[in-house]
Amino acid sequence: MLNWTLRELLLAPQQLVASVAAVAGAFLLVLFFEGVFAGESVQIVALIDKTDADVWVMQKGVGNMHMTTSFVSDWKVDAVAEVEGVAKATPILYMNTTIEAGGRNWFSYVVGVEANDPRVGPWQMAAGAAHPSPGGAVVPEIFASDAGLKLGDTVRIGGRDFRVDGFSRDTFSMANSISFVSFGDLADLMNSLGAVSYILVDAKPGVDPQALADRIKAQVENVNALPRAVFVAHDYSIAVQMGLNIIWIMTLIGGALAVLLTGFVVYSHVTERERELAVMKALGVHNRSIYAAMCAQALIIGGLAFILSLALMAAAMPLTAVLAPKISLAITADAVMRVGATALAVSLVAAVIPVRRIVSVDPVTAFQQ
Amino acid sequence: MTQPILSARDVVKTFGSGHTRVRAVDGVSLDLAAGELVTITGPSGSGKTTLVSILGALLQPDLGSVKIAGQEIATLGETALSMLRARTIGFVFQSFNLLEALSARDNVLFPAHLAPGGARAAGARADALLDRLGLSARAHAMPGTLSGGEKQRTAIARALINEPKLIIADEPTGNLDSHSGQEVMMVLHDVARDQDCAVLIVTHDQRIEEVADRVLWLEDGTLRDRKAEPRKLARDPVCNMLVDGGLSTIFAEHDGRRYHFCSERCRERFVADPQSYAAGGALATAAERSPT
Ligand SMILES: Nc1ncnc2c1ncn2[C@@H]1O[C@H](COP(=O)(O)OP(=O)(O)OP(=O)(O)O)[C@@H](O)[C@H]1O
Ligand SMILES: [Mg+2]
Repeated sequence: MLNWTLRELLLAPQQLVASVAAVAGAFLLVLFFEGVFAGESVQIVALIDKTDADVWVMQKGVGNMHMTTSFVSDWKVDAVAEVEGVAKATPILYMNTTIEAGGRNWFSYVVGVEANDPRVGPWQMAAGAAHPSPGGAVVPEIFASDAGLKLGDTVRIGGRDFRVDGFSRDTFSMANSISFVSFGDLADLMNSLGAVSYILVDAKPGVDPQALADRIKAQVENVNALPRAVFVAHDYSIAVQMGLNIIWIMTLIGGALAVLLTGFVVYSHVTERERELAVMKALGVHNRSIYAAMCAQALIIGGLAFILSLALMAAAMPLTAVLAPKISLAITADAVMRVGATALAVSLVAAVIPVRRIVSVDPVTAFQQ
Repeated sequence: MTQPILSARDVVKTFGSGHTRVRAVDGVSLDLAAGELVTITGPSGSGKTTLVSILGALLQPDLGSVKIAGQEIATLGETALSMLRARTIGFVFQSFNLLEALSARDNVLFPAHLAPGGARAAGARADALLDRLGLSARAHAMPGTLSGGEKQRTAIARALINEPKLIIADEPTGNLDSHSGQEVMMVLHDVARDQDCAVLIVTHDQRIEEVADRVLWLEDGTLRDRKAEPRKLARDPVCNMLVDGGLSTIFAEHDGRRYHFCSERCRERFVADPQSYAAGGALATAAERSPT
């Protein structure tokens, strides 16, 4: 029976290839959307994630970064620094604005950093200086490739001209980008009058971030303090609500299409074998074995298609980086498992439904048609 | 008579509903004992395939009972039924029904996987059957490359591989040349005689009818034993063909006599001018030994 199952599958190799390719194409679509979703998800919280502070301190009532403003009086930086367990407190300024560069507008987080303090800044550079000097800005590399911007060119941030000092990597996604200017320039631009936006806190070794955040909230008035992981989670959920859900819906639609296509391919595959299955039943093959044979074929088709889609995705990732650098792709084990489990489950269900119909009738009925 | 291998009582099968309703099998009863060879003949569409499918446990009747090797098939569960099909019945289909993915030899061996001993034990038997049916050279060919006759002989070898007690063949020689047809019929005949099998064949082949224990006639869903009845051969007075007066439904009365015809056309010509045909017809009907 196993012999028959495998030989039957290989009897029409072109048909097998076509089935596998069709299903793989559908899975690739889902993997791609999942990849975009995951990539954007990573990118949207990249600033918090890469800055690597143990605790973020912000204005009371503020709980995230995406599309918000936060002001904390500058004397609180010292107050935070004095809380037990704090190794270092670093202020940053931050605003959401659009940057005009190369005749185009880009939505961006603009972060003001102290030129002489490398605690905060771009985590990976493509060209130029990593820390902007007064009058300078570090902008995403995409601005260069997409708008033809060069080092030393001018960009407008909040109505003021800045000179491009450097191009950073890994600071761009479809939902936002991240640029850096000097602390003083951003203070001017925001008219912040000595306030800071966030205070980054490095904890002393062995200090629990949650406990430290609680202590800061208790000892420094009118601030909120969140461990990095919690802050990332907050921002991530806001980002999902505000924009990523579109990608999520596309992923769902892609998933639904993939389920339908896989179901259709496997269902037709089994239905085309109706006569052979009826003959086997007439020869005395148990229904159980017929189910097993068709489920095995369905799993082989689904499994091969899944492997092929992973291989195609692996090829698509570097290709996307070159052809569409704006799209951030990330492939997560979670997405792979989800797609794999769906692939196999749908294949099985799509095989079992027609087999049930075929084995439930008298064998001759099937081959009289 | 020993306990029959096959015993059918008042079997009825209808297809469709309303005005398309067909009573394909209409109250058929039949017993088949070991070693017996029985043929079924009948016009196209008379229900032969339907009847033998029911007798071969491949189709459930609407009414009536079918017992195979003492087991009432309507009461069998899925496991018992598939075991019965695999081990007790060898079925040769009108349309071969080989498994396209397997070679001729693997097709023959396929049912052996479903019997005790498995395919390994059946290898020599398969080769012997292939040899006997003239298929040795084609043993490893795929069904797609076999001729109709080769396919049918492969199907027959497949039906015989598990040495079943009941063999049912639906027009097994319909697609064979007369030589292969004769070979196939001899094999089936030998099986009935030597292996103590019951063999039921749907066929129009006159030669097998000569050696058959019973020749059954199926028409409009009901069976008649033709060998048991005296044959009433009559000569068509128009074309001179021999027709079976007991079965023919085309006839005309003239001068107190009944004349049988091969076709409606002959009957019309006769009716138009009975005088010129009646003499010849009357002469030839010396063959008609009317029982009434
Ligand atoms: N599955 C079915 N559905 C509807 N009608 C059917 C079905 N199977 C058979 N019939 C009808 O039942 C009748 C008997 O068919 P069957 O195939 O048994 O005849 P047959 O004697 O084997 O004919 P042939 O000599 O042409 O093989 C026919 O009128 C046929 O159309
Ligand atoms: Mg038939």
